[in-house]
Amino acid sequence: MTSLDRELEELREAAGAYGARHRFIPEFRYPPGVRIAVNFTLDFDSMLLRRLLNEPPMQLAKGEFGGRVGIWRLIELFDAHRVTATIFTPGRACELYPQALRAAARSGHEIADHMWEHRVPNEAELEEDHLSKTVAALEKISGRRPVGTRSSHSAALLRKDGYIYRSEGSADQRPHYELDENGENCLVNLPFHYVIDDAMFFSFAWLGSENQAQRVTDPERVFDIWWAAFRQQYGEGGYLNICMHPFVSGRALRVAMLDRLITRMKSLPGVWFPNCEQIARWCLEQFPPAGAS
Amino acid sequence: MPWKERYTISDEKSLTDDEVRWPGGARCCVSITIDLSIAAGPSGIRATDLGTPPALFGMGQGLDAVLGILKRYDLKATFAVPAVIAHIYPDKIRAIAGAGNEIAAHGFKHEDVSSLEGADERERIAHTTAILADVTGRRPAGWFSLPRQGDPFAGGTISPNTMQLLIESGYTYMGNSLADDIPHYWVTDFASPQAILTLPYYYHFDDQFFLMFPRRGTGLEHPDALFRNWKAEFDAQYRRGRHFHMTLHPQHIGWCNRLQLLDDFLAHVRRFPDLWNPTGEECARYWLETYPASSYLKLEPSIWQDYPGSLS
Repeated sequence: MTSLDRELEELREAAGAYGARHRFIPEFRYPPGVRIAVNFTLDFDSMLLRRLLNEPPMQLAKGEFGGRVGIWRLIELFDAHRVTATIFTPGRACELYPQALRAAARSGHEIADHMWEHRVPNEAELEEDHLSKTVAALEKISGRRPVGTRSSHSAALLRKDGYIYRSEGSADQRPHYELDENGENCLVNLPFHYVIDDAMFFSFAWLGSENQAQRVTDPERVFDIWWAAFRQQYGEGGYLNICMHPFVSGRALRVAMLDRLITRMKSLPGVWFPNCEQIARWCLEQFPPAGAS
Repeated sequence: MPWKERYTISDEKSLTDDEVRWPGGARCCVSITIDLSIAAGPSGIRATDLGTPPALFGMGQGLDAVLGILKRYDLKATFAVPAVIAHIYPDKIRAIAGAGNEIAAHGFKHEDVSSLEGADERERIAHTTAILADVTGRRPAGWFSLPRQGDPFAGGTISPNTMQLLIESGYTYMGNSLADDIPHYWVTDFASPQAILTLPYYYHFDDQFFLMFPRRGTGLEHPDALFRNWKAEFDAQYRRGRHFHMTLHPQHIGWCNRLQLLDDFLAHVRRFPDLWNPTGEECARYWLETYPASSYLKLEPSIWQDYPGSLS
């Protein structure tokens, strides 16, 4: 075997190993009468990520809008439309915005994990510590143990703590299963794509982006993009996970846009607005992962 | 609220739409800030910035055009004026004030103060206040620290001492904070408690981030997005009965197509009845009287706990 052949083989193995960690569900379908499920998911980091990145005071104040104002408006919007949302919440947010989180749980929205302080530590012991602190904090505030996460926490730890799903990445447009490096610790994945993430369109200096790359678009344009995404998936009997940040989408002009978007979605038959847990349980009950633990 | 130093600046929950009331039963507050700084980045206004065509245009034809439109729509604005601009253009600043607008302070030369020593910053605030008072005959009531196009973040730069120094220097309000879309209190000391009233600012309603951004010659022009953001926010805030705020720069918005954009937007705004259009100072005085911190700032002790391996 030449060195070029060896290189080809290594690349083929890398692709194969990653592919083998995924179990797609070609026969996926919804309960009778449902054509599409739309998950509205909030990443409720308020100023925590800005603080973690040591950003200056006004950046923190920008994030604080999400806790003081944005989260309340979005809960109100979802309640008015009878949409059940999932709020991915850093454990620390319970110490900053307990009123809003209690109100969200009371309205029937799911409180799920978004890390302890918006990072996954590299040290295994500390990672476990952060995860268990978050489970305890979210359970205390919502009265229920979280079963889902938007994070890169290790699947083994998540399974040990009773988690059933993760919402990250976009290897398939429909809910599917993912296994860890050892082919174990299967979790449902509810795919999320950056095109359906408000921060990609509206948040200045998101994750250290340069000024030339700023997101300074307007709600009408994003409405068009998201509506097109919804229409395409609706036609396919597919799935849409809309990721929003209360400090971004809780602004008055964007709540108004979301109101129009949900109203228009509801004008079509068979649109289901469950929370993420409901979809994950539907998958596990109806399409259990074959040969995965 | 569970107050947390270096995380939060105010209380846990904003006022609801129902709680927000404006003088005379007005439906919505509309306020305009006009930034007369031509600083390109954190170093503030430099000689090289002043010796440019946009600098002359911004204090000349561009400024006149914006003042003309404000007058035509019977709207007042707060002008955020760096001390150096008042020093160079005292007559223009007096004319702006004479037309019913407010002159507020916008730093000594709109420089980034975030790493200044307290004494140095205090001295700059005092000097700026004195220069503006001398030009206008009246101490400024408001202080701004607006972002520049070349800043890494679009929120404006302050030091850890700025808000406390503004209180000590007798300022009634600070003009730009992003934690709410109505006036809100920025706490400087939880124990006493002490706070300064801040007015809302958001970069999506600031012309400079849409017009040849990030800088002239290399930036992209998005006047359509700017217009749609203004309109969507105004319409939403009018429905809620809250507050609409926009930030303008004469050297940007005063130029042909953009001036028409402003004209079209203000025509839209004026089609709505029951607007209150105060200056920043009028808005701040009304707020301090109607929603005093003593009864409306609801601070609660922190419930935050420090753990090894976690942020403190």
